[in-house]
Amino acid sequence: MISQVFILSSKGDHLIYKDFRGEAGCDAVNKFYEMVTTLTGDQPPVVMKHKELHYVHIRQGGLYWVATTKADSSPFTIIEFLNRLTALIKDYCGCLSEKSVRMNFALIYEVLDEVVDFGYIQTTSTDILKNFIQTEAVSAKPLSLFDLSNVGLFGADTQQNKVAPSVAATRPIMSSRGEQGGKNEIFVDVIERISVVIGANGVLMKADIEGEIRVKCYMPSCSEMRIGLNEEFSIGKSQLRGYGAAVRVDECSFHQAVRLDEFDTYRILKLCPSQGEQTVMQYQLCDDLPTAPPFRLFSSIERDTGGRLLIYLKLRCDLPPKRSVLHLNNNPALPLFSYSLFSSLSQELSSPDQSAELQPQNKAVHWEIPRFPGGAQLSALFKLEVPGLSSASLQEVGSISLSFELPKYTCTGLQIRFLRLSPIQPGASQRWVRYVTHSDSYTIRI
Amino acid sequence: MLCFHVCAGEIFELKAELNSDKKEKKKEAVKKVIASMTVGKDVSALFPDVVNCMQTDNLELKKLVYLYLMNYAKSQPDMAIMAVNTFVKDCEDPNPLIRALAVRTMGCIRVDKITEYLCEPLRKCLKDEDPYVRKTAAVCVAKLHDINAQLVEDQGFLDTLKDLISDSNPMVVANAVAALSEIAESHPNSNLLDLNPQSINKLLTALNECTEWGQIFILDCLANYAPRDDRESQSICERVTPRLSHANSAVVLSAVKVLMKFMEMLPKDLDYYGTLLKKLAPPLVTLLSAEPELQYVALRNINLIVQKRPEILKHEMKVFFVKYNDPIYVKLEKLDIMIRLASQANIAQVLAELKEYATEVDVDFVRKAVRAIGRCAIKVEQSAERCVSTLLDLIQTKVNYVVQEAIVVIKDIFRKYPNKYESVIATLCENLDSLDEPEARAAMIWIVGEYAERIDNADELLESFLEGFHDESTQVQLQLLTAIVKLFLKKPTETQELVQQVLSLATQDSDNPDLRDRGYIYWRLLSTDPVAAKEVVLAEKPLISEETDLIEPTLLEELICHIGTLASVYHKPPSAFVEGSRGVMHKRLPARTGSGESTESPDVGTIAGGSGTETAPSIIPSQGDLLGDLLNLDLAPPTTTGPPPPTSGMQMGGMDLLGGGLDSLVGSPMPPRHLGGDIGGSAAMGAGFGAVPAVMPASLNAPMGGGLGDLFDLGGGVGMPLGAYIPPKTVWLPAMKAKGLEISGTFARRAGVIQMELTLTNKAMSVMTDFAIQFNRNSFGLAPAGPLQVLSPLSPNQTIEVSLPLSTVGPVMKMEPLNNLQVAVKNNIDVFYFSCQYPISMLFVEDGKMERQVFLATWKDIPNENESQFQIKDCHLNSDAASNKLQASNIFTIAKRTVEGQDMLYMSIKLSNGIWVLAELRVQTGNPNYTVRKERIRIT
Repeated sequence: MISQVFILSSKGDHLIYKDFRGEAGCDAVNKFYEMVTTLTGDQPPVVMKHKELHYVHIRQGGLYWVATTKADSSPFTIIEFLNRLTALIKDYCGCLSEKSVRMNFALIYEVLDEVVDFGYIQTTSTDILKNFIQTEAVSAKPLSLFDLSNVGLFGADTQQNKVAPSVAATRPIMSSRGEQGGKNEIFVDVIERISVVIGANGVLMKADIEGEIRVKCYMPSCSEMRIGLNEEFSIGKSQLRGYGAAVRVDECSFHQAVRLDEFDTYRILKLCPSQGEQTVMQYQLCDDLPTAPPFRLFSSIERDTGGRLLIYLKLRCDLPPKRSVLHLNNNPALPLFSYSLFSSLSQELSSPDQSAELQPQNKAVHWEIPRFPGGAQLSALFKLEVPGLSSASLQEVGSISLSFELPKYTCTGLQIRFLRLSPIQPGASQRWVRYVTHSDSYTIRI
Repeated sequence: MLCFHVCAGEIFELKAELNSDKKEKKKEAVKKVIASMTVGKDVSALFPDVVNCMQTDNLELKKLVYLYLMNYAKSQPDMAIMAVNTFVKDCEDPNPLIRALAVRTMGCIRVDKITEYLCEPLRKCLKDEDPYVRKTAAVCVAKLHDINAQLVEDQGFLDTLKDLISDSNPMVVANAVAALSEIAESHPNSNLLDLNPQSINKLLTALNECTEWGQIFILDCLANYAPRDDRESQSICERVTPRLSHANSAVVLSAVKVLMKFMEMLPKDLDYYGTLLKKLAPPLVTLLSAEPELQYVALRNINLIVQKRPEILKHEMKVFFVKYNDPIYVKLEKLDIMIRLASQANIAQVLAELKEYATEVDVDFVRKAVRAIGRCAIKVEQSAERCVSTLLDLIQTKVNYVVQEAIVVIKDIFRKYPNKYESVIATLCENLDSLDEPEARAAMIWIVGEYAERIDNADELLESFLEGFHDESTQVQLQLLTAIVKLFLKKPTETQELVQQVLSLATQDSDNPDLRDRGYIYWRLLSTDPVAAKEVVLAEKPLISEETDLIEPTLLEELICHIGTLASVYHKPPSAFVEGSRGVMHKRLPARTGSGESTESPDVGTIAGGSGTETAPSIIPSQGDLLGDLLNLDLAPPTTTGPPPPTSGMQMGGMDLLGGGLDSLVGSPMPPRHLGGDIGGSAAMGAGFGAVPAVMPASLNAPMGGGLGDLFDLGGGVGMPLGAYIPPKTVWLPAMKAKGLEISGTFARRAGVIQMELTLTNKAMSVMTDFAIQFNRNSFGLAPAGPLQVLSPLSPNQTIEVSLPLSTVGPVMKMEPLNNLQVAVKNNIDVFYFSCQYPISMLFVEDGKMERQVFLATWKDIPNENESQFQIKDCHLNSDAASNKLQASNIFTIAKRTVEGQDMLYMSIKLSNGIWVLAELRVQTGNPNYTVRKERIRIT
């Protein structure tokens, strides 16, 4: 049971405040801001308590989304709800920002009124809500050519990757109902996050992939959509199909609107997408990656005669060379020193567009590589002046973490075979399928 | 900062706009008003103008006005009435959206006057043809109940709500379930939800069709159901299992809760049990791929599940490995779970991980990781050696906080495996100088003292610490004192000077009482009997075990019933943080039953915890009620079994004293033969006056609710010797609330001394020592007459009986109820507080027999307002037998006369604080009903 819901700006301004059960005063808002800003590092901020009131909050779009409760309610419900609420408001207002929330407060109150009644969550589906919601969204960002120059959804250059213009994805869904008469567009994104731990001896110690298929739909009257996955797609360890290159995941869960009657035989997901964004399918794969992890790193760490610490790193990208347009957003390599502080850093990098810097507060060196083609190999040598370096200090060099983004690539090999809409949409409809793999936690130990 | 006062000009402008003819302008004005409202400005002055906009066919405008109303109606109740007509009209609007909107908003206006008008429209809406209206109305019943519970019951809305559970629309079902669950919480004893196999079946069917949020309501409701046998439990589990693959984590967790609870009933050898265990793992693992906030909440829950059923996740160790970009609070939780899952099979992997973590940047995390290595050594015996060598590797890094943390855990390892790894001591000693944290210093000193005979320069090492003795923290000082005494006992020749030095430092130069006391004890031990000193100081210590950091089983069971709720995040029972009656009920896992073995549903957590929480509903009128009550109970014929007829106790006002007990007793089965006076739900009192001497098994909770009202002026009393009886023991302090210490007890009067009989049970994993007891000031000045005699330490699962003599000369303070006693019990773990109630009969003294003359004189002098009268029904003893029985309990018969076949007994009672009670008991031969007139006086 939710007592209150409120939205605060990062500076603590009240943007939205709604009380559902009349059991807590509105001073709770200020109390929350006070608590959240004075939180010490080791306190988990997720669930906080003050007197009889429990606060659960998330941060999205630079705003605090807070729900309070007095009963022993489920924090899962509340966090899921807040996440849904942000998604809903993003769908309705186009984007999440202080400005869009301020401009659409009447709409947000209306949404909240329908979504929660007396603290009980009623629905968060745009399909159902569109029958009730009367207020039109005010678009915070006017459509302009400026936006085209923005970075694309995944940080990819728009022209290069034939990714839909970003502005399309930040449009309020409801505007398609209005006079603007937006395009009939549908986006299907396959997003994977990869976590890898490679041991000091180069052995893959742990690898897992979490993936999801997201659909963002701007079609007002889409009755059914069929998404075809790879036919050799299999779930679970035992269920291998055909020979060799099967696409396999361990676990799969689906949005409740997905009908799976053709899934077992043809690997087709059927659904009637509501307007707005929804995660249609989520899946995980642990340990048994179909391909080698995308990056390997060879390192050597030693102490030179001048008492400096030498770190030599060689990074190789094991992706197939045809993925040569691999877009590496950045690649901070972080050798972590738990103890010593460095006085200076000198570096030798293999190409000029890379950069490296020392970050004493993180006790790390940050090495950034803007672009990294498949099959290539880069190297770097860092020399660090460490006062009082001993041979034991070499043991303190921690692991190296990579973070990167691989567009148009899925580590599981999951592909969308086809995307069919029925009935055939009148007029021009555009369908976009996009793939991307992010690094979640990619660690190589030294 | 914002200006919170809207200036008059602005108000005026808004007023004009609100009264504009143009709809658009009106709408914009209302929006402006709401915007001001949100930032906290007071725009209540515009109430009439906004309400005027209510009658519109524009739904958007209507919604805005309603939004305003919800906010301000409470502060302007009189004006809110103006809106009622529109509400009522809107409830009959052809548009279902408007009907629902009206009924929803009305429920949110928490003004009493409006609720009257709400009933008729609500009744109609509950039967509306449109499901959207019905589901809104269902929630509205809960709203109305929150404002005026009586009204809801009188209007019969609860029955309508129950009917909605069978509605054709799943959304309506879900809301009805949610509303009923909430209402049921405030009526713990009502059977509102009436869960039975048929209704469960309906709910399970609705479960498949509901929205995700509705599924949560239904699953949470299912979790409160107690299946009759394992077959039913299995069939429910089968139908709930598909929810585990839901994308909404809240649905998943609610399903996990139901399964964890019902699994308890399945026999472990059943194939299905194994299948279910396997099915639980993947969804839990999936939760860890969510946002960090959800991950954290999930990890707290997994921590509980792993403690309850480690087999579910035993193969999933890897998912708990820490990612470098996890927030610190997620990392620490993962670490904890890793240790809980550590076993011989995976220890190598775990240790390799932990060693890596020890090189991370975050100091807190590194410390926890080092500590975790030590916990692994203690948990997995076979790997202890490996853990120790890992710790040694870490010590080699010389990173200050790593070394200190490692030394602290090595001390624990020594406690678990004595005399096994002392080869590492040399390495530890090398780092002596770098230790600057008290805990690490204390640990190091402990190690040196413990292994003094093997460390050649132990005396030098300890001496070096002694130099800065006064600057050390208490922890280190105490450790140092003990270590040097140990050293002296082991090598008495060389260290005499050292030990004298430390003893004088501790006893003469220190102002810390703990340190001084310990110093004196050692000094005296050493000077009187060195052999005994050796036996005491160098005694074998109990081994520590890994269970010390587990949650108490009783608490764990309760927390498992609250999976997915805040309780599972705080790891505290809901009663600890939810106010009021809500959540006070303790839930328990159902008992395992064979199929068809029992048709009774196990009592899932409605009874426990009820005792002592409810107090008597009315103020106690006079003491006579108590007396009559006692008489009645005492003299009643033995009943065979089962709940007593509630009438007898009630009619006599037995409720007053026994209110609390009555509630918990009526309906709970009693032992078949329980004294003569098993009537009226006040077994404690009945037993108190019964002549039957034996102590009955403490199966009843019969706390004495209420008290004696404001009759007594409180003063010091005299405790007079008298023999008395012992009421059955009741649990005063459940183990869950006291870190494993359970206390049950009762009061008795033995040889004129009031005794508090206690049973202490250690339900924790560790040994308990150092017991002490203290009372708060109370109405009759009860105080312990001696210390609590618990001589030997209380080891786990041990129970001891203690008898504590009480005096009545302690400080006096009036308590509510009058016979309430607040007690604090201390042990080596913590101090615990509880309150209990003593039977008034305990205070009746032996010299309560008044002189006949005095009695007569006093009887006449008692003013009428001090008098009261009541009847005791169904007593089949004759007057003499009754008189004898009462005498045994210090109620003395002074005189008897017979008038027209009626025996009149005149009686007197004296309380320990000198108050006299005089009573007249009329017994009509052949009539089982007695009449008692009683009055009380005070003699100082």
